[in-house]
Amino acid sequence: MTPKFLVIVLAAAALGGLAQAQTLATATPAAVAGKLVVRGSADKVAVREIRATRNSDFMSVQADFYNPERSDHYVFYRFRWIDGAGNQVGDGEAWKQLLLLGQAQETVKSVAPTPAAVDFRIEMNAEKK
Amino acid sequence: MKKISAIALAVLALSGCESLSSPVVRFDRQVNYGDAKAVELVTNEFGSTDLQMIAEKMVGSLLESGAFEGRPLVTISSVKNKTSEYIDTTNVMNSIQTALVKSGRVRFTRSIAEMQTGVDELQRQNQSGLYKSSGTAKVGNMSAAKFMLEGELTSIVKQNSNTKDVFYKFTLKMFDVEGGTIEWQDEKQIRKTSKR
Repeated sequence: MTPKFLVIVLAAAALGGLAQAQTLATATPAAVAGKLVVRGSADKVAVREIRATRNSDFMSVQADFYNPERSDHYVFYRFRWIDGAGNQVGDGEAWKQLLLLGQAQETVKSVAPTPAAVDFRIEMNAEKK
Repeated sequence: MKKISAIALAVLALSGCESLSSPVVRFDRQVNYGDAKAVELVTNEFGSTDLQMIAEKMVGSLLESGAFEGRPLVTISSVKNKTSEYIDTTNVMNSIQTALVKSGRVRFTRSIAEMQTGVDELQRQNQSGLYKSSGTAKVGNMSAAKFMLEGELTSIVKQNSNTKDVFYKFTLKMFDVEGGTIEWQDEKQIRKTSKR
């Protein structure tokens, strides 16, 4: 292997690692995707719909996770709340593990810790059971 | 020339790989901090993630229910542990109370368990003779709670030769102290399964 070839191979490997983009299942609508922060790949798990309301001045969000595959998946998720200035509200939620059976949909829900929350993100990653 | 270029590239690559030391004091047995919010799957006994999930669910349900209209005074009662495990249920109520106080929608009074230290401090200020009477906290001015939170944690354990399934259920109720009525109630169910 010549040095020039070795350099090209190393560069390609480095760029490939750096360029690994977050991938979302294609069934996730674009409007929903903007609220998701996916760690690595969502492994075909889609977020079909997100609904946000305000109850008693607290933002309440529900998200529908859907597993289009026949095999069961684990989804790790948590909600992150953001105030009007873009700062995180509260100390951050704990991660939750959700068992998503094959071709099943589960709704997860969370309520903001203070009325200051006006926006949110859902952090998630998925893996096969 | 080709050989010199290869050596130069190798030196550049290696110098880029040299890592700085981290500002830690470390010994042979390495310890690292983990993520306090990570999902804990060490065993299927009651764990940190269960505590966090219960607290988040209960707090969210309380806050969006509107039960705290007018910023009422609330006190915490005991949480009965009806499982076969040793669980410090005060931990769960502390997490719930912390989140509710930080929401700004409710005020808490001393619980029954916390009462004695409050009484001791009042006695110290008023009866020890050490403090200026103008600056002491007066006896008989405590605010009474309108609501009381009571909880209960139960479990159902099933196991065979290769599977153990534990089902936890945490129930939290808010009573009107004067009327004795339940003004709010919710529960959190958790299932943990382990296979040999």
